[in-house]
Amino acid sequence: MQDTGKNIIIAGLGGQGILLFSNLLSKYYMNLGYELKISDVIGLGQRGGGVESHFRYSNKPVLSPFIKAGDVDYLISFEQTETLRYLHCLKDDGVVLTSTFELSTSSVNTRLEKDMPECKTEIIKRSGKKTFIVDPDEHKNPDFDISKMMNVVMLGYYAELRGYSHDDMIQVVKESVPAKFVEGNIKAYQKGTEIACAELAVK
Amino acid sequence: MERGNKFAVMKMMNGNEAVARGAFEAGVKVASGFPGTPSTEVMDYTRHYYPEIYCEWSTNEKVGLEVAIGASFAGYRSMAIMKTVGLHVAADALGGAAGSQINGGLVIVVGDDVGRTAGDDYNDVRHYGNMFNIPVFEPADSQEAKDLMVKAFEISEEYSTPVIFKITSVICKTTSKVIIDDEITYEAKCNVKYPVSFSKVIMTTMMMNAKGSEHPKLTKCFNDFPAHMKRLASDSNDFDFNRLELNGKKIGVITAGTPYYYAKEVLPEASFLKLGLVMPLPEKKIRELADHVDELYVIEDGHDLLEKNIKDLGVSVVGKELFPKFPDMMRFTPDIIEERLVPKAERRSVLEGIPFRLPVSCAGCSHLFVANILKKHKIKAAADVTCGLIGCFPHMESYSLQKCMGSSIALSHGYNVATDHKENFVAMIGDGGFWATGINGLMNLIFNDSQSTVIIVDNSCLAMTGGQHVASSDFGFNYKPENKLEISKVCEAIGVKDIVTVDAYEYDNLEKAITSAVNAKTNSVVIVKKPCVTKFKLPKNTPSYIDQDKCTKCRKCINLGCLAIESKKTKDGKVDIVINEDLCVGCGLCSTACKFDAIKS
Repeated sequence: MQDTGKNIIIAGLGGQGILLFSNLLSKYYMNLGYELKISDVIGLGQRGGGVESHFRYSNKPVLSPFIKAGDVDYLISFEQTETLRYLHCLKDDGVVLTSTFELSTSSVNTRLEKDMPECKTEIIKRSGKKTFIVDPDEHKNPDFDISKMMNVVMLGYYAELRGYSHDDMIQVVKESVPAKFVEGNIKAYQKGTEIACAELAVK
Repeated sequence: MERGNKFAVMKMMNGNEAVARGAFEAGVKVASGFPGTPSTEVMDYTRHYYPEIYCEWSTNEKVGLEVAIGASFAGYRSMAIMKTVGLHVAADALGGAAGSQINGGLVIVVGDDVGRTAGDDYNDVRHYGNMFNIPVFEPADSQEAKDLMVKAFEISEEYSTPVIFKITSVICKTTSKVIIDDEITYEAKCNVKYPVSFSKVIMTTMMMNAKGSEHPKLTKCFNDFPAHMKRLASDSNDFDFNRLELNGKKIGVITAGTPYYYAKEVLPEASFLKLGLVMPLPEKKIRELADHVDELYVIEDGHDLLEKNIKDLGVSVVGKELFPKFPDMMRFTPDIIEERLVPKAERRSVLEGIPFRLPVSCAGCSHLFVANILKKHKIKAAADVTCGLIGCFPHMESYSLQKCMGSSIALSHGYNVATDHKENFVAMIGDGGFWATGINGLMNLIFNDSQSTVIIVDNSCLAMTGGQHVASSDFGFNYKPENKLEISKVCEAIGVKDIVTVDAYEYDNLEKAITSAVNAKTNSVVIVKKPCVTKFKLPKNTPSYIDQDKCTKCRKCINLGCLAIESKKTKDGKVDIVINEDLCVGCGLCSTACKFDAIKS
């Protein structure tokens, strides 16, 4: 076990499958024998509210369920306004993996406040962190509904980025999602690994 | 994995699931209560994994606690589940049980929404521990949540007292490992020690009259609960879940719950008193820690209750003077502790200007239809605690009054009698709020001859907490079709003069029903039916779209408060109003609102 552990924040909106994402990841790390603590912060409203998951795995017992700002190794986000909320939490050499999906906030929609003048993707790129950015619109395909399965696409991407065994991760997916969704989920997972491969080749 | 002669298995559980496991291991027979974030899933897990335990969602928290008290008197271990705001409803029942004779262990599992993540007010359940002189447990992780549940039942029986088991939004939603003995089988034990159990009213009367008399008829009514609690306070110095960790002599911390782990991570050299039982306090251990260290801090989420109780013992501690409570701080984080107690800690702050998210209704929610019609006709209305309360937020502005669960009917009645019924101030309430306590408001309204209008938005479940069943649902733990209560029949039996039932998506009918009810000089109920779109995953219609050539950007549609309608910056920098086709369910409300015929399906 060379990797002694990492701190990850998984961010996005209610209904985007963040809890499934962290659940799948936790099973993978558990199988590797890591200690884990995962804390989900879920706001008011069933859909569309911010959700953040503090995900910590370590080869020693994990103490705090919350990660201190400045201690985050990976920020994985499914919505780019939410990505911005946690950028400051990253370590100096922290990594951002984010979708460019954006759901405008109710406050901006109803003109209670102004949106940020700059393009959010550009702010993320300029953050000085290592950034990996996925635009779901570029990867729409007939095999699965990417708007619903972006979480598993991102799981594939993350696994490729970390150099993890795809067989082991797919096994976790198979064991965790209902039988009728397994095929679509595997396709989404593989799509994620493909996007990551292409991106890593360029970088 | 083998531990001793037992078979130990490691499982990942969140706090809610661990509490349910603890209840199972303790042999709980009856679980009752009322949904409330963050502790709702304690019941869900109990029901799902441990079918041996009788489970019910009661009509409200007070009823739920009374069911548990009855079960406890019968000799069986029972737990009531609710959030702190719910315990306010059940406080009278708790006051009745506190100090009385306890047969089967009675544990009230209460979720405190520390950090106010789900809209709870800034409550702290431990106040009830002080007020009623009853013990309060607080676990710091899932393992402890399971283990302390078993202890809580033992203590309830040993010291004849109801026990509050405080869990927080952090512990409920934090997953960590739990070692369980997989070989444990369920056993519901029956413990009938007392033939009677009376509230303190009867006991204090007996106490005065029974002085000097040993007649068994008198003494059996009397329970010397202050003595039980004194004994517990003394014994609490010996409990291993009140753990003294004597390390460095500079900093000492008295703490409980997840803040223990924040402090432990930030201050690895410090000495700790980690409490599992936060009330009553282990005085000897507190003094031992105080003598060991130079600086003694209290780190507790919620109100400054440990701090006050410790200071009452005459021990000097630093708490809120260094860590000011609400509104300066919503809850502890490792960052806050580091900032105040670690010299030269680096401080990072969030990027400025990120827009915030007000809660928004799911696309297709029936509440959006009602909120829109009220606003359109400038009908003044009170909202309840329901998904519909989103209509109170400034992006919708459909309601002008909103308080607690089940309140809107009585609120509007009060307004109407004060204003001599000159304007019909309408009450909007959900089916959950109606059954919880709203029904009392309706009975009150009728027999006090009020001419108010009540809109009951019936989405067939308690949607806000994830879709639990209510008395009028077509499903439920103990559901039988013949036992289902009909809202309209109950309203009729109560004596409401005018009752009409409408489908929420039939906009014109709904509009007519609401306006004519409001204008009529009689009391009335409008029942708006549509199952919750999220819970019941209703089939979607063709999504709507906005014809950008016709759209004038008047934002009438956006102000409906639907999650699917957004204002979006286009590539050339202008702003378009668009409908997110992945979220839209095609309910058609926005096309009704559009005056320019720009919204089509």
